[in-house]
Formats: sequence, structure tokens, C-alpha cells
Amino acid sequence: MSTSFLPCGEYHQNYHEDHAWWQTKFIKGKMVLLMLVLFIGIPSVADSYWLSVCNQIGYTALGALGVQLLIGFCGQVTLGHAAFLAVGAYTSTLLILEFPWPKFLVELGLAYPISILIAAIVAGIWCVLFGLPSAKVKGFYLILTTMAAQFITVDFVITQYISQIGGRGQAFSLPPGTIKIGPWVIDSDLKVYYMMLVLVILLTALVLNLLRSRVGRAWVAIRDNDISAEVMGINVVQYKLFAFFVAGFIGGVAGAFWISNLAAISPEHFPWFWSLWLVGVILIGGVGSIHGTIFGSIFMVVVMELLQMAVIPLASSFPKLLMDFLFIKEAAFGLAICAFMIFEPNGLAYRWWQSKNYFNLWPFSY
Amino acid sequence: MRARALGMVLAIAFALSPAAMAQEVVIGALSDMTGATSDVGKDYALGIAEAVNYCNDNGGVNGKQIKLIQFDYGYRVPEALTKYKLFQRMKAVAIEGWGTGDTEALAPTVTADKMPYVSASYSGHLTDPKKTPYNLFAATDYSTNARATITAWHDTRWKKHADNGKRKPRFACVYMFASPYASAPIKAIKDQATLLGFDIGPDQDVSLFAVDTKSQVLGLKDFKPDVVWHGNTTMSVSAFMRDAYALGLGADHIVNLWGLDENLPRLAEKAAEGTMGATVCAFYNEPNIPLMPKVVEYAKKYNPGVPQEKRLIRTVQAWSNVLALWEAMKRADKAGALNGEGILKKGFETMKDVDLGLGGAKLTYTSTDHRVSGSVPVYEVKGGKFHLVQVTDIKSRWPDKWPTWMGW
Repeated sequence: MSTSFLPCGEYHQNYHEDHAWWQTKFIKGKMVLLMLVLFIGIPSVADSYWLSVCNQIGYTALGALGVQLLIGFCGQVTLGHAAFLAVGAYTSTLLILEFPWPKFLVELGLAYPISILIAAIVAGIWCVLFGLPSAKVKGFYLILTTMAAQFITVDFVITQYISQIGGRGQAFSLPPGTIKIGPWVIDSDLKVYYMMLVLVILLTALVLNLLRSRVGRAWVAIRDNDISAEVMGINVVQYKLFAFFVAGFIGGVAGAFWISNLAAISPEHFPWFWSLWLVGVILIGGVGSIHGTIFGSIFMVVVMELLQMAVIPLASSFPKLLMDFLFIKEAAFGLAICAFMIFEPNGLAYRWWQSKNYFNLWPFSY
Repeated sequence: MRARALGMVLAIAFALSPAAMAQEVVIGALSDMTGATSDVGKDYALGIAEAVNYCNDNGGVNGKQIKLIQFDYGYRVPEALTKYKLFQRMKAVAIEGWGTGDTEALAPTVTADKMPYVSASYSGHLTDPKKTPYNLFAATDYSTNARATITAWHDTRWKKHADNGKRKPRFACVYMFASPYASAPIKAIKDQATLLGFDIGPDQDVSLFAVDTKSQVLGLKDFKPDVVWHGNTTMSVSAFMRDAYALGLGADHIVNLWGLDENLPRLAEKAAEGTMGATVCAFYNEPNIPLMPKVVEYAKKYNPGVPQEKRLIRTVQAWSNVLALWEAMKRADKAGALNGEGILKKGFETMKDVDLGLGGAKLTYTSTDHRVSGSVPVYEVKGGKFHLVQVTDIKSRWPDKWPTWMGW
């Protein structure tokens, strides 16, 4: 599924062309158009609400990217990823609030970017700790160990100890102006949106590059058959743990990004349900596909919001629709996963792949 | 003739203009019907809609009807954020919020947006206008309530206790550590316990969803507390009380507001006898409360499917918050400033000793202190019913400390 057919009449004549990110002028044009839409089009037409929806998509995508890497590419099922988002968010927040930053770093607006990087590394290392059991166990047993990450991290360590730092009680609030990147104070939905775009693009590129490398091939080999991978000389434990590190790293970035959106955090922002939700995102988007992560995030956030928008005009006649919508939404979430598992197990990404190839091969799409 | 035609055109143009069409005031409401706090959230959500209907039937905001947009966000903070943005998009002038989690999380945002956010979270952290000017509620805050309740227990129960004068009373807290709601007044109640000379035992972590709390009860057995403070909501509190009763813990119970309602004696039965707690308004259908007949009338009218015996004090709490916002909006509108800043400055912060007629404290908000009162009615359960024990006025009892207690 990861290979797309070249458009009719296009041939590669060397490896450089074969390995290029964007292999034809048409694709390059499409990507430029996509960037224009993302960086200019959407911000110029979207109001604060839709920008916040986009930010929600970005946050979901960043969270799900790590889950995709673990489940979709390395075959390590995780149900505790919200824990690593929490580690990222709390590390970044505490660094901003408590660390004695040199004045010049604060003035240059580097405190928050550095805190994101440190948060990502801490979350990555924390994730490796909970990935250690993957050396011995897999399948359902691994699911249980990753679930332990959620309860140990959020319910125990963060709630009981980390939240108490500075005597603030459970909720940490970041004073205005503390979330600053260079000269820009991140204080509006638009600025959060741009930050989200940059992070999603950078991390997606990072993961895609890793997947094209020896590391990515090793992960896929482990996913497909770990014994065969080991026989081929792949250090299975080392590569599994590296996958956990990268997934935790991305989760850490997602968590650190989240605080720019709200300027406040508490353990309740990272419930176990969110870990489950992220797995739902990749199931609907397509397991083993980076496109699928993005599509799944868009589907889970936008479709639900659109449904809600459809409900609002009816609410004047049927006021209970608004209140009862969440039940419908929960049911829709469950139904969507069932429907995708039954009718389209490869997710939305497979449909995208099919339609893209149809047009690439047109008029000889047979 | 020409002048008349021009006049008609102008009249039609005015009639169709946004100014004339804006005869509606939009307010948003976030409710929890399905999440962790839905055991108390459902009744509150119904009360919000019923109270808004009452306001509209009584003239709305100086003739403008209130349009309520209400969403169930399932107590999920990320969802609360998008709903908040949706309210903004729909031009809401104020929001009736819900839990401490979303309220504290949205506090920086509503402050930046100057959006009055009247929450069902009465966290003491939200009472300092320097930090959270746009977070308001028509009730005494959790910290004030906690201080008042432990003081009332000390005044009434401990003074009659056989060990009074021989040793310090022993006190412990039971709540969900991860919940900002449950943990909000912990610092205050422990401070008050220290002030009153209590021995403080180990905190016990009990989930809001807890149905079995035996290990936490056993965790307190060695300490032998005389009184236990509960910070959770009714379901979880009743579970602990039942287990404490069964295991013979022998402690009295004092409960935060959201754990104390008509369901508590129903769920915990004998185990709830003697339980004390502060309230911020009268219980549902309590006699001799001026506006209570209206509360009941609107509940029957708009939600006839919900049996009266299932309605709770939460309905009355919702009414309190809606009526306070209504009053603030009317004042702001009269001053020609029906917007976020106007509702705060010309509305709430002009209110002095306002009695909503719902059995709660008289509301006073100032630009330097958003605690509405220091006077708290404390009730106890006797024979499965709530009875007033005393009204504890911690403001006049500790006047020198009162200013320093703001904001935590």
C-alpha cells in the first residue's frame, strides 16, 4: 500500500529520481498547492473556532503519529500513549515555570522551544522504560504493560508528586507571555495553528525519513515477523526500544504543544480514554500508513464537529439534540471503528491510495 | 409623500439591520451528562435550561430573549476547548461552565478573551480577580465551605466528644488526587484543621468512579480518624461511607458540596447518618424558600419525564448560577455594556448583598474579591433527611485571616 504507481508515461532513470520525495513535477505542484492552502488559505478563511478545530486535529495527529509508529510500523501495540503526552506537557510546563532560565534565553524566546526539545527527550526515555517489557512479552501482555504506563505515569507519578511541585495544586497555569518562540508570543489560535503546522510537518518528515532508512526497514521486519527479523541479524530488542523512544519523543512534543493551546494543564487532560482514542484514530485512518494518521485525525475531529454543526440548526426545534449529541458521537465512534474493521480494514489511507493510483494510471487504470 | 416613503424605507432598513435583529442574547453552557461527574451533572444541566426558560418568561435581558446553546462535553478537557470556541463563534456573551478541570484549564483563555465564565466549579483558586477576573459563580467557594464545615463539626460534635480536652481530634481527607475539583480545597481544609488543632492523617486516593473503597478504609484504620472529609461526588462518597460502615471505621463524615445531595442518604442509607456538609443553596423542593415553587414548576413543565423524587439540589445550584448571570446581564445591559467586560464590571461587580431567593448566601462581588460571602449554612443528615446544623460565618470569626484566604 505504501507504493504508489507513477503516472502513465513517467519513468525513473536513476536512483536519485527513484528515491526523491516528490517524484514528478505534478506532485511537486500538488505539494506547493497543499502548503499554500495550509499556510495561507486556511488561516485567511478560518475563524477562531475552525482554527481551534485544526489545532485539535494537529494535536490528535501528533499524538497518533507515535502510536502509528509503534503499532503500524513496529507491531508493538500500545494503549497508554496519553502518558507520554502527559510527560511532555508536564516537563515543558515545569521547565517554563520552575527552571532558572538565563535572562537572555527568555528574552530571545528560546525557553519554550528548548523546553519542547527536553520534554520530547524525557518523554522518549520514559517511553523506553515502559517499552522494556516488549523484550519479553508481546500481544495482549504488551497491551497490559503499556496500560500500566498510563496508570503509573498519570494517576500515580504526575498526580501524586509532579502536580504538587510549586504548591499549585493539581492545575498548572502558565502566565501570559511565557509561551514564546523567538519574538512571537503564542497567544492566539492563529499562532498556535502555525506552530502546530510546523511541528506536524517536521515530525511527519522525521518519521517518514526514518521509515525509508535501515531503522524503518528493521521495524517493519519486526512487525511482520520478529523471529525472521532476528534471524536476519536485526537486534530486535534494540530496534523495539528505539521505536518506543521515537514514539515517546513525538508524544512529548505533542504534550508540550498542547500547553500552548490552553496555557494550563492538569492530570485530567490525559485520561486513559485518550490513549484509546489515538488507537481509534490509526485504525480508522489506516494502520501502517502516515497518511492514515493524518486522515484518521481529520476524520475523528472534523467529521464529529461537522455532525455537530448539522445538529445546531435543528436544536431550536429539538433542544435535546444538543445535549444528547455526545451519546450519538460515542456511538458513532464505536460504529465507525466496527465499520472500518469489517468493510475497510486498511482504513481511509487505502481509499486514498486507490483513488490516487486510479488517476495516476488513467487512462490505463486497469 | 416622498418623506413618508423615505421614512418607510428607513424603518424597513432598521428592522432588518443587525442591531434590530439582535434581540437575542446568546449564552453557552457546558454540561456533563455522560462523563466522570455525570452523577451530579445531569440534574445541573436540566436546571440550567429550566432556569433560562424562567428568565425568558420574565422578560429576558431587559426585553432581549436569552438563547441558550448547551453542550454535553463528557468532562473531557480537549472537547471543552473546541466547544468554548464554538460558543465564541456563535457570539455568546457569557458561558455557564461546569467542572473544575475545564474551568481552571480555560481560565487563562477566558481571561484573555474577557468572557464571563460562570462555573459549577466553586474552586477557591477562581476567586482572586487579579488572577481569574472572568471566572465567577453564585456560591461560596469550596475552600470557604470546607473551612466552615470542619469548623461546624468542631463546634458541634467535638465539643461533645468524650475525648475533648484529652487529645487532639484526628482528621483525614478522602478524594481523587487526580481530580482538580476534589483536590481544590485540600490546602485550605488542612490549614483550617491545623488552625483548630487537629491531627492530620494520611490522605486516601479514591476515584470518582469508585465502587469498592475497602483498601482506602483499611488504610485509615490505624490512624482512627474522628472525622473524614470527602472531596468526591455522591457515588464515590457513598461507596466509601458504606465500606467505612461495614468495616467499622467509626469516623464522622464531612462532605464537599458535590458529594452532598438527596442521593447520598438513599445510596449510603445508615452509613450516611450524621454526615455533615456545606451547601450553597436550599435542597430541591425545600419549604419556605421564596423561589422554590418556580424551580419545581419549571422542572415539571420542561422535564416532565424526570420524576420529582429524582431531582436534586443540583437543579437549584444551576438556577443560582443562571439567575446571577441574568442579574449581571440586566445590569450590564442597562449600563449599555452587554459584553464580557460590561457583564463583569457593570454587572457582577456592582452586585452587593443580592438575594436570589434560593436559600443561598447573599451575593457580593467586588473588583478585588470574588468570594460572594463568608457565611455558610452547614447541614447534617438525620433520619435520611437534611437538617440545618448552623450557619458558620468564617469571615467574621477570623476577620484578620479572611483576606489572606482568597484565591486558594
